[in-house]
Amino acid sequence: MKARQRGSQKERKFPSMAIECLVLGAGQQVGKSCVVVSMNGKRIMFDCGMDMAYHDHRRHPDFSRISESGDFDKALTCIVITHFHLDHIGALPYFTEVCGYRGPIYMTYPTKALAPSMLEDYRKVMVERRGEEEQFTSEHIVECMKKVIAVDVKQTVQVDKDLMIRAYYAGHVLGAAMFYTKVGDSAIVYTGDYNMTPDRHLGAAQIDRLQLDLLITESTYATTIRDSKYSREAEFLKAVHKCVLGGGKVLIPTFALGRAQELCILLEDYWERMNLKIPIYFSSGLTMQANMYYKMLISWTSQKVKETYSTRNAFDFKHVLNFDRSMISAPGPCVLFATPGWISGGFSLEVFKQWAPSEMNLITLPGYCAAGTIGHKLMSGKRTKIDLDKDTQLDVRCQIHQLSFSPHTDAKGIMDLVKFLSPKHVILVHGEKPKMATLKGRIYSELGIRCDDPANNETVCIPSTHHVEVKDERAAEGILVEEKSKRAKIVHQDELLLMLGEKKHDIRFAYCFPINTDNLEDTKSTDVSSSSNALSMSGRCSWLPMLYIKLSDELSGGNIQYFGEQIQVESFSVSLCLKDRCPYRIVDSPPNKCEAVFFCCTWSIADEKLAWKIISILENLDYGTC
Amino acid sequence: MDRDLPSSCEQSIRSPSENPAEDSLSPETLASLRSLVITPSTPDTAISSIFQTLTRSLQLSRDPLVLHHTLKLFSDLASHRPSLSSSVSELVRSHALLSSDSTRLAAESLDVLASIAERGGTPVDLDDRSFVSLCFGPSVSVRSWLLRNAERFRIGPHVLLTMFLGFTRDPYPYVRKTALDGLVGLSKPGVVEDLDMIQGCYCRAVELLLDTEDYVRSAAVRAVSAWGLMLVAFNLETKLYWSDNLFVKLCSMGRDMSMEVRVEAFDALGKIEIVSADILLQTLSKRVSGTTKGMGSFGQCPAAEVESSASSVAGVLVHGLEDEFYEVRKSTCHSLRTLTIISAEFSEKALNLLMDVLNDDSMYVRLQALETMLHMATYGLLKVQGTHMHMFLGSLMDGNMSIRSATRKILKLVKLPNIETFKLSVDGIIDNLERHPQDEADIFSVLFHIGRNHGKFGMSIINEVFKEMELASEGKLGFDTARVAALLILAISALLSQGQHACNIPPIIFSYAVTLLGRISVALTDIMNQDALLAYLSQCSRSTRFSAMEFNLREDKPRLPAVTIASSSHSSNEINGTVGSPFQQGEDVAANLQYQAMREPMEVASSHVGYHLEVQDEVIRSMNLIFAKVKDIWPLIQSGFTNEVLRVLRSFKEELATFTSGSLRSVGAVAFALQYLRVVKQLAKVWEHFLPARKLCSGMGELDIALGKLETRLRELKSRFTGLSLEQELQILELLLLTCTLRLSKVESYCQVASLKKLSMTASHVESILKLGSIEPSNFMSEVGKLSYLTRTSSFGAPCDPFLFKELLKYFSLEQFVVFGRIDHIKAELVVPDNDSENHLPFVPRLPVGIPCEITLHNICSENKLWVRMTMDDESTQFVFLDLDLFGSSDEVRKFTYVVPFYRTPCAFSFTLRICIGMECSFEDVPPVKRYGGPDRELTFLCQEKEVHLSMVGEH
Repeated sequence: MKARQRGSQKERKFPSMAIECLVLGAGQQVGKSCVVVSMNGKRIMFDCGMDMAYHDHRRHPDFSRISESGDFDKALTCIVITHFHLDHIGALPYFTEVCGYRGPIYMTYPTKALAPSMLEDYRKVMVERRGEEEQFTSEHIVECMKKVIAVDVKQTVQVDKDLMIRAYYAGHVLGAAMFYTKVGDSAIVYTGDYNMTPDRHLGAAQIDRLQLDLLITESTYATTIRDSKYSREAEFLKAVHKCVLGGGKVLIPTFALGRAQELCILLEDYWERMNLKIPIYFSSGLTMQANMYYKMLISWTSQKVKETYSTRNAFDFKHVLNFDRSMISAPGPCVLFATPGWISGGFSLEVFKQWAPSEMNLITLPGYCAAGTIGHKLMSGKRTKIDLDKDTQLDVRCQIHQLSFSPHTDAKGIMDLVKFLSPKHVILVHGEKPKMATLKGRIYSELGIRCDDPANNETVCIPSTHHVEVKDERAAEGILVEEKSKRAKIVHQDELLLMLGEKKHDIRFAYCFPINTDNLEDTKSTDVSSSSNALSMSGRCSWLPMLYIKLSDELSGGNIQYFGEQIQVESFSVSLCLKDRCPYRIVDSPPNKCEAVFFCCTWSIADEKLAWKIISILENLDYGTC
Repeated sequence: MDRDLPSSCEQSIRSPSENPAEDSLSPETLASLRSLVITPSTPDTAISSIFQTLTRSLQLSRDPLVLHHTLKLFSDLASHRPSLSSSVSELVRSHALLSSDSTRLAAESLDVLASIAERGGTPVDLDDRSFVSLCFGPSVSVRSWLLRNAERFRIGPHVLLTMFLGFTRDPYPYVRKTALDGLVGLSKPGVVEDLDMIQGCYCRAVELLLDTEDYVRSAAVRAVSAWGLMLVAFNLETKLYWSDNLFVKLCSMGRDMSMEVRVEAFDALGKIEIVSADILLQTLSKRVSGTTKGMGSFGQCPAAEVESSASSVAGVLVHGLEDEFYEVRKSTCHSLRTLTIISAEFSEKALNLLMDVLNDDSMYVRLQALETMLHMATYGLLKVQGTHMHMFLGSLMDGNMSIRSATRKILKLVKLPNIETFKLSVDGIIDNLERHPQDEADIFSVLFHIGRNHGKFGMSIINEVFKEMELASEGKLGFDTARVAALLILAISALLSQGQHACNIPPIIFSYAVTLLGRISVALTDIMNQDALLAYLSQCSRSTRFSAMEFNLREDKPRLPAVTIASSSHSSNEINGTVGSPFQQGEDVAANLQYQAMREPMEVASSHVGYHLEVQDEVIRSMNLIFAKVKDIWPLIQSGFTNEVLRVLRSFKEELATFTSGSLRSVGAVAFALQYLRVVKQLAKVWEHFLPARKLCSGMGELDIALGKLETRLRELKSRFTGLSLEQELQILELLLLTCTLRLSKVESYCQVASLKKLSMTASHVESILKLGSIEPSNFMSEVGKLSYLTRTSSFGAPCDPFLFKELLKYFSLEQFVVFGRIDHIKAELVVPDNDSENHLPFVPRLPVGIPCEITLHNICSENKLWVRMTMDDESTQFVFLDLDLFGSSDEVRKFTYVVPFYRTPCAFSFTLRICIGMECSFEDVPPVKRYGGPDRELTFLCQEKEVHLSMVGEH
C-alpha cells in the first residue's frame, strides 16, 4: 500500500518501473534486427539478426551491451525470433553456440522448420564461396535449433511465472509473427516485419485490440504509400510478357522463400490464361524445397490458398522447372528465379553478370535493397557501369523493372496498425532515418502517440506511468493499491484485506480502574439479608444499570447501549472487572480494598476523547445521589 | 398407453406422496415425463396427471435444478397441448416465480409465459420495475437474455433505451453487444424523435467502436449506422454534416483487424446516400489528397478533425476491394452500388477498380462486381473505356454460367464509346457463343440489344464481314456456324436501330436469317413473336432500303412516338397485317411492355428507400427522393440518352407502384408523382428532337404528336391535383412555358400564333403568381418573360424568330420537385352496369337513349365544371354537363348514379359509344374550338374511356 487517496482528484501519475528498450540492431537502419526489452525485471531479446552489408564484427549486434560479464543466461529471460529472414535470425547460432546463451528461444513452427536451411545456405555462401572465416558451423546450427521452443499463432506461452508471450499472424513471409509480451501489467508488442495487405500467397497481419504500453514496429516503408496491388501486378506481368515475347531472359532475384512463391503464383496464373509456353526456372533446390514447406504449412498461408487447398494446392506449380547452371548461356527466352534477392552474391550475381550486358534481358528488383548491395546500386539511379570489385566493372545494358510490391507494410499500414492498437508509446525500428523521422511526426500529430526512433545501441526508457482515472467523483474514495509489476488500482477499504489476504488489526485501549464504593453504603444496607459476599455481588449487579442511567443523563445524544454485562458507547465499552489481576489495572487497589469495585474499559483510538470523558464521569460519580 | 408409463413416473403421478418433502422429481422421471408430453398419443388423463404432478413439484420443490426442468416441461406442455396453455400460464404466473430470489428461474418463467403469449395466450405485462431489477440481478446470462427478449415483454421504449444505453458500459462484452443490438432495434421511426436522444445513442455507439472485443465492435458498427442514418434523416439542413460524419466513422472501421467488423462497416457504407464529394473520392486513394492538406477542409468535418478523418477515409474502398476475405470484397462491391450514384467522378474512378476486381479469384466477388456494374449501367454511369475491355470481356469466357450471364446483362445496356470497343465486344460475345453454345438464346438477345443500341457500328461490321464471308465461302454461307448466326442477329438489330435510315445491308442477309428463324425467335421472344419476325425478315429480304424507310414511317403513325423496343414490335405487327394494339388514353403501351433486362432497376431503386420518421412520411420522403433523382437525370435527357432515361424513369415508376397501400394523403401524392414521371418521360422523348446531332428525319408529325402528348400530360398535372403550393404550381407552369418554347423553336411549326398566344398567357400567369408570393423566378422563367414581353409589345402576331426561342432552351433546367403537404388527386370512376360486348343497352334509332352510369368522383369541388363526353365510332362527339349541385355535397368522395342522355342515336342495328368524364381546365383561357353546347375550355379527362354497347330494341 503506497498511498491513500481521498477526494476528487481525477487523474494522478505514479512513477513505476519503466520499460527499457535497448536497440542493438535495426536502429535507424534496415538490417540485423535486435531489440532487448527490460520490463518488470524480465529481459527479452527480440530477434537476433545479422547485417548482410558488413563482413566484420559490425554484422552482429553488440552483445556485450547486454551483459559485460558475458553471462547471458542471467541477463536474458528468453529470446523471441519473429521470422526466418537472416536479418532477424542470422546471428542466433553465433549467440547461442559461440557466445554461450543457453536460455529458451521462441519462434513459430514454420520459422523453426525453415530457419536451419536458411542459415546453412548463408553459411555456405560465406564460407565456401567467399572463403571467409566461419562464424558458426553446421553443427552449431543444429545445436542452436535444439534450444528452440516452437509456438503456434495465438498460442499463449507462459515463459515463467510472470512472463507471457503470444504470437500473432504477421503476413510478410511464411511463419512470420508479431509477439505480444506481458509481464505483470506491462504489455508490449514487437511486430518484426509484417504486411497489412494480403498478397497472392500470404494473408494480412492480424492482431487483437490489446492494451499496450509499447509497440515496437518495423518501418521499412515509413513514407511510401502503395496503390492498389492490382495495378502493380498488371505492370509486372506486362513487363515480363514484353521481355519474353522479344526473346529476352528475365532474372528475378529473390530470397528463396516468400516473394518467389508470390510472384510464381502470379506468373502461373498469367501463363495459364495467356497460354504461354516459355519456361520458368527456379534456381536452386532450396526453393523447390521451400515449395514443399509451403504445401505442408498451408495453415499459415492466405485465406484463399487455405480455401482452395482441398481442390488444388496453389504451390503445385505446373510451369516451373529446375534450373541448371549450364542453362545460363543457353539461347531463348526464359524466366529465372534466383537467390539472393539483393544480388549481393551467390547465384543471382552469377546470372546477373551474364545477362546484364544484353539489352533484351530484364532484371526485376524488389522494392527494397539493402545499402551496399548491387541491387541497391542498380536502384539508385541510371548506372550503366557497376563496380563488382576493385578490378571488374560491369556494363549494365539490360532493362530494369522495379517491383514495387514488397512483403512489408507501407506507411499507411503502419499507421493503421498503430491506430488500431493505440499503444501508449511507439518505437520505430528497421527503417531509414529520415523517413522514420517523418513517420514519427505523423504518429505524434495524427494519433497523439509518443514515438521514438532510437539509433543502434541506444536505450529508450519508457516511463510507464500508471494512469488511474476516476470517472465518478462521488465514488472517488478508496485506497490506491500498487503492487509490484501490476497496474495501480483503487479498491474499497473493505476489499483491501480480502485482496491482501490479511486479517484486520484493531488497536484498542484498555483501562481498568477502581471506584470507591463507600458512598454506596446506603444502598447496601437496604439489602441486609444476604452475606457480605453475596451482598457485594448483588450490589455489583445493580451498578451497571445505575451507570447506564447516569451516562444517559450526562451524554445526551450518544448511542448508549446496555447489554447486561457491559455498557457500550460507540467503541467504548465498560464492564465490571472480576479478575484479581487485570493487566489493564494501573492502580492496584484503592485504600479501602474491600469497598472498591473495578471497572474495565476498552475503546478504539477514534473514540479516545469520549472514553476519557466517560471515565471521568464514572470516577467522579457520586453514587450516593443515585 | 398407460402401461407404457415408466414405473417410477407412474408412481410419482399416481400416488401423491404423503410426505411432500420427498416429492421432488428425479431427473430420470422428468425425462420420461417429457417423452410423454411430447408424444401426441399420450392420453389426456395421463397428461392431466402429469400436469398435477408438475404443479405439485413447482409448488413444493426448492431445488433450482428441478424447478428449471419443471418449467421446461410446463413450456413443452403448453406448446404440445394448447388446451392446457392457459392453465400453465396461470400457474406459472400465480406461483410468483417472478419475485423469487433466483433471477434465473424468474427469467425462465418469463420465457414460458412469453412463449405461451406468442401462441395466442394472454400477453405478459412485465412492469418496468421488475424488468429493471431483474436486469440488475447477479446473473449475467439472465441479463443478456432479458435485454435480448425485452420486446416480448412490452417494455416501454424509453425504459429500454435507458437500459440499453446503460448496459453498453457493462463489463461483460456479451451484455454490451446485446445492448447495442437492442439499440439498433430501437432505431425505428416513431420510437425516438428527439434530436438529442438520437445524438446520444449515436455517440455512445461511436464510443464502442473502440471496444476490445470483435463482436462488440461489429455490433457497434451496426448501431452507429442505424443511429447515424436517423441523424442524417432528421433534418435536411444538417443532413450532409451528419452523413459525412457517419461516413468517416464507418470508414475508420474499414481497416479493423476483424473480418466481421470490416464486413459490417462496408455493408453500412452502402446505406449512405449522400456524402461530400471530396470524402468520397478520398476513399479511392490511399494518399491523402493535396487539396485536403492544403485547404484544411474535408467535407463537412470540423477543422480539428480534418487530418485524422482524411487518414481514416483514405483508400478504404481500395483496401476493401483487395481484402483477404471474399466476404469483405463482396460487401465492398455491393456498397459501391449506392456510392457510385452520388458522384460521377467517383463512379468513373470506382469503375477502374471494379474492372480489376473481375480478376478476383472468388466467384461471389466477381459476380457482385458485375452486378454493381449493371446497376451503374442502369443509372447511365457505366463509362466503359478501351482499357477496360480486355478485363471486362474476359468475364464472358468465365467458367461460371452466372458470371457470363451477368456480363451479358451489362452488355445489353452498355453504351460503347467507339467502333473498336464495339468490335471487341461483338468478338467477345461470339467467342462466348463458340465456347459455351448453351448460352445461345441469351447471347442472341444480347446481340440484338447491342446492335440496336449501336446501329451504326453494327451496320459497318456487317458490311465488312459480309464481304469477307461471301469471298470466303463463294456465296455460300455456313449457316450452322455460330458466328454467322450471331452476325445475322446483329444485322436485324442494326436495322431496327434508332435513327438508322440509310441502311445498306445486303437484303440477302435477311433471307439467310429466315433459315435461322426458329433459333432467332426463341432468343427474341421478349421482343417480338415468330410471326412478326418472319414477316419482318421477308419484308427486309425483298428490299432493305425500302422496308427500313417504311418501317420508320409507320412508326410515326401509331401514336407511339419513341422508338422503343416495344414500338418496334408494334410496328412489325402491323407489317404482318395484324391489328395494332389500340391506343389507350393515359397509358403508354411502350411503358407496359417490359423486358427482363429492365426489371433489374426496380430492385435496385427500391433498395434506396431511406429512413423515415413516420409511416406517412415514408411515402412522401421516398417520393422526394425519386423527385431528386428525376432532377438528376436532366443532364442525361439533355445529352440525348433517351433510352437510359426512359429505363430509369420506368424503374422509378415501378418503385412508386409499391406505395399504393398508403393513406389517402399519399395516394394523391403517388398519383401526382406518377403523372410527373409521365411528363418527364414525354419531355425526354420530345427533347430528342432538339438535339443538335439528330438528323431531321422523322418529319414534323412525330414531334407534333409528342408535343401534344406532353401538353396533355402537363394539363393533367396542372388541373387534376389540388393542394399544390405556389412553388409547385410555378414549376408546372415553367414546364408549360417550356412546351410552348419548344413548339415555337421549331421552324416548321405551323400553329405559331396560337402557341405564341399560349406562351404569353402562361407567362402572365407566372407573373401573377410571382407577384403573389416572394418566389424567385428561375432563369428560364425570367428569360421567357422578357421575350414574351417583347413579342407582346412588337407587332402582335408577327412570326417570331425560332432561333430566339431556341436560345431560351439553354436556360432551362429541371428543378427538383418537393412534396410536403397533402395532394389530392381529382379523379372519377365511371361504370355502366350490366353492359359489355354480350349485354347491350337497348335503344330506338333517332330517339335519345339514357345511359345509366355509376359515377364516383374524388376530390372534386363544386367550382369544377364536369362534362361527360360521348364519342361514337365516327368520332362525332356529344357533351353532357354534370351539375354537381345535384349530387351530394361531400367534396372528398361523391358517389351517385346518373342517367346520361345521348341524343343522336344513329340509324344502325348496334353501335358503340366511348364515354368519359372530363373537367374544364380553369387556367387555360384560350378556348380551343368553340363547340355548340360543349365545354368552353380544354377538358382534362378524369377516367379511362368506357365503351358502352348499344343495340336496337328487339335486336338482342
